[in-house]
Amino acid sequence: MKFKKISFCICCFLLMSACGQPDEAGYSESFFADDTFITFTAYGDNAEKAVSAAREKFTESERLWSVTNENSEIYALNHSGGQAVNVSAETAEILEFALDMSERTGGALDPTVYPILRSWGFTTDENRIPSDDEIKDLLPLVGYGNVGLNGVSVRLPENMMIDLGSVGKGFAGDMAAEILRENGIDCALLDIGGNILTVGSKPDGSDWRVGIKDPDGNGNAGVICIADKAAASSGNYERFFIGEDGKKYGHIIDPSTGYPVDNDILSVTIISDTGRSCDALSTAVFVMGLEKGIKFWQNDPFFDMIIITKNREIFITENIFQKFTTDNSHSDMRVNVISNEK
Amino acid sequence: MTAAQMLMSDKGGENMNTHKLTRLALLTGTALILFAVEMQLPYPFPIPGIKPGLANIITVYAVYRYRAEEAAMVVFARIILASVFCGNISSLLYSVSGSVLCLAGMIPLKKFLDAEHIWFGSVIGAVLHNAGQLIAAFFLMGSSVLVYFPFLILSGCLAGGFTGLCAQLIVKYLGRFYG
Amino acid sequence: MKNKIFILIIAAIFLAGILGSIYVMTRPHGSRVDIIQDGKILYSFDLSSAADRTIDIEYNGRINRVRLENGQIYVEEADCPDKICVKTGPLHSDGLPIVCLPNHLIIKFADKDNDGSTDADVG
Repeated sequence: MKFKKISFCICCFLLMSACGQPDEAGYSESFFADDTFITFTAYGDNAEKAVSAAREKFTESERLWSVTNENSEIYALNHSGGQAVNVSAETAEILEFALDMSERTGGALDPTVYPILRSWGFTTDENRIPSDDEIKDLLPLVGYGNVGLNGVSVRLPENMMIDLGSVGKGFAGDMAAEILRENGIDCALLDIGGNILTVGSKPDGSDWRVGIKDPDGNGNAGVICIADKAAASSGNYERFFIGEDGKKYGHIIDPSTGYPVDNDILSVTIISDTGRSCDALSTAVFVMGLEKGIKFWQNDPFFDMIIITKNREIFITENIFQKFTTDNSHSDMRVNVISNEK
Repeated sequence: MTAAQMLMSDKGGENMNTHKLTRLALLTGTALILFAVEMQLPYPFPIPGIKPGLANIITVYAVYRYRAEEAAMVVFARIILASVFCGNISSLLYSVSGSVLCLAGMIPLKKFLDAEHIWFGSVIGAVLHNAGQLIAAFFLMGSSVLVYFPFLILSGCLAGGFTGLCAQLIVKYLGRFYG
Repeated sequence: MKNKIFILIIAAIFLAGILGSIYVMTRPHGSRVDIIQDGKILYSFDLSSAADRTIDIEYNGRINRVRLENGQIYVEEADCPDKICVKTGPLHSDGLPIVCLPNHLIIKFADKDNDGSTDADVG
């Protein structure tokens, strides 16, 4: 009799362990910050309080780094006329990060490209094609190496301008995620206008399923499963204009030429531990192009990436290949694995 | 003294070492023969590692009749000789890691088992043996081999039960005549 | 009593093995197949759309000849002692990979569900 009871208990235990936990409802807030639609969703007891705190932190940091807001520290820096300016510790940190990333990517990322970006009208939505001479005149103003950062004191040569657009949202997102963690949240999803940050895994313990957009606009090309990671994409498909010459001009400028990037890549998605590095690297790899981007990863594979090229091929680094699924309607896209064997 | 008598006798006198060595060598030889027989059997499974493990009858017997280091000697001598004879050095790693784990489980268990429950130790040993092989495969080939684990558990239970019962019969039979 | 405890323990292990096997064999998978050697993915195909072809995969001078044909994948020839990979036949949908231990080769369905639903979209 006892024998039967014990075996019954063991069977029940085995069966139960096979079932997942029921989903709990999450708490979610959506808002706009600097023209970006943002949704923070968190799960757990303290979710409401944590999300509000994270949202406050996010908007506060974003405000510091806006290039257009006249009260921002970056605005002050861009209008300092070459004088050293003291900034907050957070701004110094993000500047240091952006300059460090510029160095690491050999200048493919450059926060000082703003004067050229402005001449193309991408900052005001009054798009125009600047003349070759105009770009030639502006190019000397681009150069992350000329930014003098010493503690919290920053000196920007006259007429040079900094734009943290390529890393600011990721950085602010990291800070918001940090606030969530400090509030005991171990399960959250931050969607910052398409830059994704995940805290932990989904409430049921599975990975978050993040769609990778088809740059040609037909839904998602595939799905990547991630947990406790961030993801961000760059590509000229998101913001571009058609010039009077009928050509398509994208909003990501190659800092070495001053012209919009036009290479074999349609989009780059980076998966890494922080939102800031996803932001920075997606822009940088997009500027580099396929071949240089792959070499860059092979030399320093501290992140993962998914590249979609113009001839509709997908290149994906080997570590996340298993986590990626091509969408059923995109099975014509060839998937290539980028391995670390040089 | 016949070979069979040497194999059975536990009372060695002053020639104990030679006697024991000879007995262990005979055990190793028997295990090798069983191994060779098993090699000739057809292999119908789509999964590597599912086999009756006839040579382990000797392993189980050695564990229960001899001291731990002596049993280990029999096992490792058989593994090394088998891989040399079959020219399949790459399987050596699997065998060694399986056998280490198997012995590590069976030898401590031996204390708790009387002659009627040798089969239990053998099943545990076989499951551990398969787990050990899988661990080696995991390090060599990556995580995708882990899907075999449940099948190897089943195979270990069946094969271990069979070899264990065989060994148990041998221990019992020989015990009746020579114990 | 001792006997019962032993039988119970073995029964529990056996049951775990059965449940595990059922789980492995009923796991959802797509139509994509990976060819893996030493834990590294060498090739990856969508079986439903891949063209027929033959691939030789070398390991220490030994070769496994892998054949893709009519949406099936199998090992045609192998320079390995046991030839388990050849005997296995075409890769079945029951979730069990084709494996060649001596040549460190695994052919398996990429394991993941593919219903296209997402929690968020990046871009």
